[in-house]
Amino acid sequence: MADTFEANPVRAPYGAAQEVADSVALAARGIERSYSIGGRSIGVLHGVDLELRRGERLALMGASGAGKTTLLNILGLLDRPTAGSVWIEGESAWELELVERARLRNRRIGFVFQFYHLLAELDALENVLLPALIGLSRAEYTRRRKELRGNAREMLERFGLAERLTHRPGQMSGGEQQRVAIARALILDPPILIADEPTGNLDRGTGEKVLELLLDEQGRRGTSLLLVTHDERLAQRCQRVVHIEDGRVR
Amino acid sequence: MFKTFLSLRYLRARKTNWIGVAGIFVAVAALILILSIMAGFLAESRKHLRGNLADLVITPADGRIEHGKEPSRDLERLLALVEEDPRVAGATPQLVWYGLVMPEFAASAMERPMQDAITLVELVGIDHEREAKVTSFGESLSKDFAVKFPSLGRPDDIADPFKLPRNYRPEGRPKPPMIVGEQLGHVWQLRKGDEVPVMTATIDRETRVVNEEPSKRSFVVAGTFRSGENEMDFQRAYFDRRDLADYLGLSEGPTPRDFSSVLVRLHDYARDKDAVRTELYEKLHEAGFLHDPESAYREITTWEDRRQNLLRAIENERALMGIMLSLVLVVAGFTVFALLSMMVIEKRRDIGILSALGATPRGVMALFLLIGLWQALLGAALGAGAGIWAAIRIDAIEQWLSRTFGFQIFNRDVYFFDHIPSVIEPLGVSLIVGGAVILTLVFAAVPAWRAARLNPVDALRYE
Repeated sequence: MADTFEANPVRAPYGAAQEVADSVALAARGIERSYSIGGRSIGVLHGVDLELRRGERLALMGASGAGKTTLLNILGLLDRPTAGSVWIEGESAWELELVERARLRNRRIGFVFQFYHLLAELDALENVLLPALIGLSRAEYTRRRKELRGNAREMLERFGLAERLTHRPGQMSGGEQQRVAIARALILDPPILIADEPTGNLDRGTGEKVLELLLDEQGRRGTSLLLVTHDERLAQRCQRVVHIEDGRVR
Repeated sequence: MFKTFLSLRYLRARKTNWIGVAGIFVAVAALILILSIMAGFLAESRKHLRGNLADLVITPADGRIEHGKEPSRDLERLLALVEEDPRVAGATPQLVWYGLVMPEFAASAMERPMQDAITLVELVGIDHEREAKVTSFGESLSKDFAVKFPSLGRPDDIADPFKLPRNYRPEGRPKPPMIVGEQLGHVWQLRKGDEVPVMTATIDRETRVVNEEPSKRSFVVAGTFRSGENEMDFQRAYFDRRDLADYLGLSEGPTPRDFSSVLVRLHDYARDKDAVRTELYEKLHEAGFLHDPESAYREITTWEDRRQNLLRAIENERALMGIMLSLVLVVAGFTVFALLSMMVIEKRRDIGILSALGATPRGVMALFLLIGLWQALLGAALGAGAGIWAAIRIDAIEQWLSRTFGFQIFNRDVYFFDHIPSVIEPLGVSLIVGGAVILTLVFAAVPAWRAARLNPVDALRYE
């Protein structure tokens, strides 16, 4: 069942409302983003407020060009907003040092992209382990190597890829690649999962299976999921749907 | 952590990376090979150039002209003063003059000059017993003949080289003996026991004017010598010092000028040359032998001073070769630059993915620098191995190439030595390897920096 909210009231995710802050995984406050093209400033987002609660499934819907992807990049800490702040577990992410922000991206956020975005040179298992390779120090990785490899293998097997562990992305189908990508997003067990049209590039049957798997895993882990889609059926699987139109949340 | 892993994976996955490795390999190998050969030339040349020269040469200036005072000419005392220094192994006097060796048929060569046949010859008067202890004169009498001149004889008795040859049948009074350089003897077809006229100009000792009549005296060839240095073997003849002084009219008078320099050999040339040189000058200056107030270096020279033109030429050549071949290394660096730039463009999406997964720009930069570093290390290591191997085996390699392709690559007649010399200098090799690695990293830094600056949003933009 989908509850559609008009907008979210502006609330500080800290201080007095500590209770609220504890229940919010990701919050956006007054996000604006404009691009300057040929000396002219073109606004894409005009003050977006958004909250993703712990364990919640939130669908972000909107037509092409509405600013979904731009918002997603800002929330995923890939693109700096012109104004406004993004709060991740009580920290204003865009005020942090670059290295700290990279660390947040690595530990707190898992990405699932429409086009899977696996590294072609790595096999399935290595792709899944990539966030650990990036984020952990050599000593830490060496210490946790067994555990991490075990988790990755177990997850891939659970996703039905037991035969594919050492296959490269080029040798796998789209559905298989997306399942590897989901395992990659979850390997460090981040509290936030951002999925951008995760089934957008898959046929209906495959897409449904992949979605099922994603929601299953998310429910089991209690991860907060921000799902970007323009597919109504997908949105219906979420607890809340937020519409974005002309750079504003409706 | 991911950098090492991923850079090695990228290195392996892209076959084009081997072009970069190959470029560095060739450049490093060529540099090491050529510089080792040049170092070998230098070492070998030093050995040969020193030849019959001595460590130090004391040549008193003519004090009468320069300082209005006749320098002391007491040879016995001079030798004693020099030899009392414990660092000196020996000293010997030489009388040097210049003249022409003119066998009978040389006249036609004078009229119609054959190329290089007539040349001014250094007439060197020596005390052979002392000489043998100071220079390599003794060895030059027993050295093998150069392949081209097998027919010439060495002196009958090396211990007494100026003894008249056994086959010499003089008409009338026997002529004084001389020992000619092997090549000089070859050019004039000289044989042991031949009487050969030597011509020169002499100077009136009082007026310092050249005498009207040229001076001529015949000497008998007692044998030949081979120092191994072409110039010396072609332009030098040895005489007994008293015979030469007598011929030049330098042995008479109250202060005979029967020596022009004293050659000194040191126990440890490299260690003592500068100290002995300075101290000897002061001692001999006080004793009245040397006068030049300007510097000790005009009256006491080392053999290197005398051969510095040649030595410098070889050193220069080496430096030039190094610079030119370094350009090959620069080209190899550009190859790495081009390959990495291509890779950064090709891997745009990967860079975006890595950023999204938490890689910092610094990490991305390190990733691409590492790819350059692996290429540099691999190329330089293989190149150093190949270069050193080739430098050690260069003679065999050259002979194989010459045999296979049927032309002489290294003309052994041109040089002092009959093999291609090479000396591997560990410092030089490390500098080349280190330089190659650093240069490659400098070239890799530009694309790596570009990769680090890539905006992840642009990099991830859907295809």
